[in-house]
Amino acid sequence: MSAKRITVLALVVAVVAVLAALPLFVKKDSTINLACLVLLYVALASSWNILGGYAGQTNLGHAAFFGLGTLVARFTWLGGWPLWAALLAGACVPVIFALIIGAPAFRLKGAYFAIGTLALAQVLYVTVANKWPLITSLPARYLATYRLMPRYYLFLAVAVFTVGVAYFLVKSRLGLGLMAVREEEDAAESLGVSGLRHKLLAFGVSAFLAGLAGGAFAFYHVGYYPQFPFSPAWTFDTMMAVYIGGTGTVVGPIIGAVFYVLVKELLALKVVEAHLIIFGILFILVVLFLPGGLLEAWSKIRSALGSRAKSRKAALPAG
Amino acid sequence: MRGKVSMVIAVVLVLSTLLAACGPKATPTPVPQPTTPPVQPTTPPVQPTAAPTVAPTTKPAPEFIEIGASIPLTGKFGSLGAMVKPGYEIAVADINAAGGVYVKEYGKKIPLRLTIYDDESDPTKAVSKMETLFAEQHVVAYLGGAGSDMHAATAAIAEKNKVPYLGIAFALYQIHQQGYKYLFSPFPKSPAQTRDVFEVLNTIPADQRPTKIAIFQEKTDWGAELGKMWVENAAKYGYNIVVHEEYTPRSADFSAMILKAKSAGADALFAVPVQPDGIAMFKQMAELGWTPKFSLIIRAPENVAWSETLGKIGDYATMFAGWHHGVKFPGVDKLNADHQAKFGRPADLLTGPAYACVQILADAIERAGTLDRDAIRDAIAATNMTTVIGPVTFNADGTGNVLNPLSQWINGKLELVWPPEHATAPLAYPAVPFDKR
Repeated sequence: MSAKRITVLALVVAVVAVLAALPLFVKKDSTINLACLVLLYVALASSWNILGGYAGQTNLGHAAFFGLGTLVARFTWLGGWPLWAALLAGACVPVIFALIIGAPAFRLKGAYFAIGTLALAQVLYVTVANKWPLITSLPARYLATYRLMPRYYLFLAVAVFTVGVAYFLVKSRLGLGLMAVREEEDAAESLGVSGLRHKLLAFGVSAFLAGLAGGAFAFYHVGYYPQFPFSPAWTFDTMMAVYIGGTGTVVGPIIGAVFYVLVKELLALKVVEAHLIIFGILFILVVLFLPGGLLEAWSKIRSALGSRAKSRKAALPAG
Repeated sequence: MRGKVSMVIAVVLVLSTLLAACGPKATPTPVPQPTTPPVQPTTPPVQPTAAPTVAPTTKPAPEFIEIGASIPLTGKFGSLGAMVKPGYEIAVADINAAGGVYVKEYGKKIPLRLTIYDDESDPTKAVSKMETLFAEQHVVAYLGGAGSDMHAATAAIAEKNKVPYLGIAFALYQIHQQGYKYLFSPFPKSPAQTRDVFEVLNTIPADQRPTKIAIFQEKTDWGAELGKMWVENAAKYGYNIVVHEEYTPRSADFSAMILKAKSAGADALFAVPVQPDGIAMFKQMAELGWTPKFSLIIRAPENVAWSETLGKIGDYATMFAGWHHGVKFPGVDKLNADHQAKFGRPADLLTGPAYACVQILADAIERAGTLDRDAIRDAIAATNMTTVIGPVTFNADGTGNVLNPLSQWINGKLELVWPPEHATAPLAYPAVPFDKR
């Protein structure tokens, strides 16, 4: 194992350890709640990135998978299933949906695929609103024992698992195939990489992870309409997090999600009336000038500092 | 060049984060300045209904009584939140102008400090804001936002944190059936709305009353709740439901339901559409030539867009909106004047109930004599006072016993038509056919 890999591994272990210890030091529910949202967005952004970032397929229907996971997990959990079984069911149902719609949806390319997935998500949104119009609120007896800490650890586990899957996927043969399809599908096909099979696999994995995040959300949220998690806002918020951080990387969605949730929340608390405008401007600036996201900015800052150090070194008299 | 721009953007992003962290805090309501002599509000001072039993403490009094609200100021409920927020703010200003709320535990009046956050009409963000209000502002009570979605989430957080919660702008009864102890809503609920419409119809001479009712039921929880209760009350009051049709929200075509109602000879319509649906429904009723003598259209006609879009077609529609600035209760004139001065119109439909929430809370704190949340909760439950929405008491499930006034669009103006002692105009009945207006 190279020194760099050992450093990265140590860093990951340290970050996870700090996150795992967070509730021991932070007693405020507001902070734990915010951490839950950050981890939720890390999971959602990383799961979207598998199809959108690595396979280059812009999925505007990610909320459908998140929503399906929420719907199935919530009703099964409140119906008396053990939590693990409800989460598993919530993660598997979106995969079935993804595989059913995937084959016809991948006949569409580019913007058409994006619009197609958005339409499918909207169909689900409306259908769920019609079929389950009642608010799903946690009854008082559940609230009496409601604690954020187990929710936090569930979100942490889901986020770590999702990022881990993304990491190993990138390093795998499947990940390389996905990136080949993203760069030039015809060329990849000519080399024996099946575009449809790779995209379907990525769609399934992405849907599974989004459904898992949905299950955690179902366990976390105290009251909402069942159609709420199907709202397109979940897709667009997730995409904003990915684009802010940087698409097609493991770290980008994590940085994007942290930035998106924390800055947005901070602005909402401090500049109540104008927070959406300010955040909107920030996002536009990122898209215009940092198409590679904050990761690009970081690499540019590093290279700028590096070249300055080099030129300073060169300017120094020898000896 | 592009590299430099990227660096600038990165710096801007970091600075904006720091700027936000150092920026002003939320929207705390102004408190009285020490140099300003206290102004007596026109609203009668709050009288405790029970003698406080709390002994004075040696603890120093807090500078403020912290209360907080997560309100949808943007998003789909933004227009409702915009009516709620001024109600809270004006009420807090009025109470603070008189020095605040007397808290026996500290033997002095303490001003209220209201922190308001925008939840963007998103229940997840509302939960986050509620937790922040609890952990950072240490609020002794929550004031609610607007819309059933939001209340379902925020009332649950209030229950979890054991903080009393006063919320309006939702009529859904189901939220009160979860067994919550800390939720109170001085706002008319579905049972009152479905009962009172028949009380109103019974004020019409028997030979002129509508006898055949059509219900266009929205496929939502509130639609189902109202539909069921309308049917039950119709049987109780002796009216016939001749058409009972369901539709999906945001439907474009209501013609099948309208033609069914027309052919059944229905002469009254009950519905609870969102505004686009309500407007489409009335346009199609006019096109298809079906004018019910009486229409109860809850929700859709509640703002001026109804009248502006529909013109004369929108006239005669009635609604239970929760309040009207024409009600004759103490403090309403002052509230209307303050609202007029700030926004150029009398208080909005939800502004009065929002104002009343603060009145109820101040009264409860004064009677509790302490800032203990459970004591305040118990005092709210025992409320028996008159506010700008009239007399208020609470049932065990947190629903309020409050006036449920009926408003009606008459000649492009929203009039209060029931109950008669508060009416600004008599009920316009029967509705003139659409083609003769």
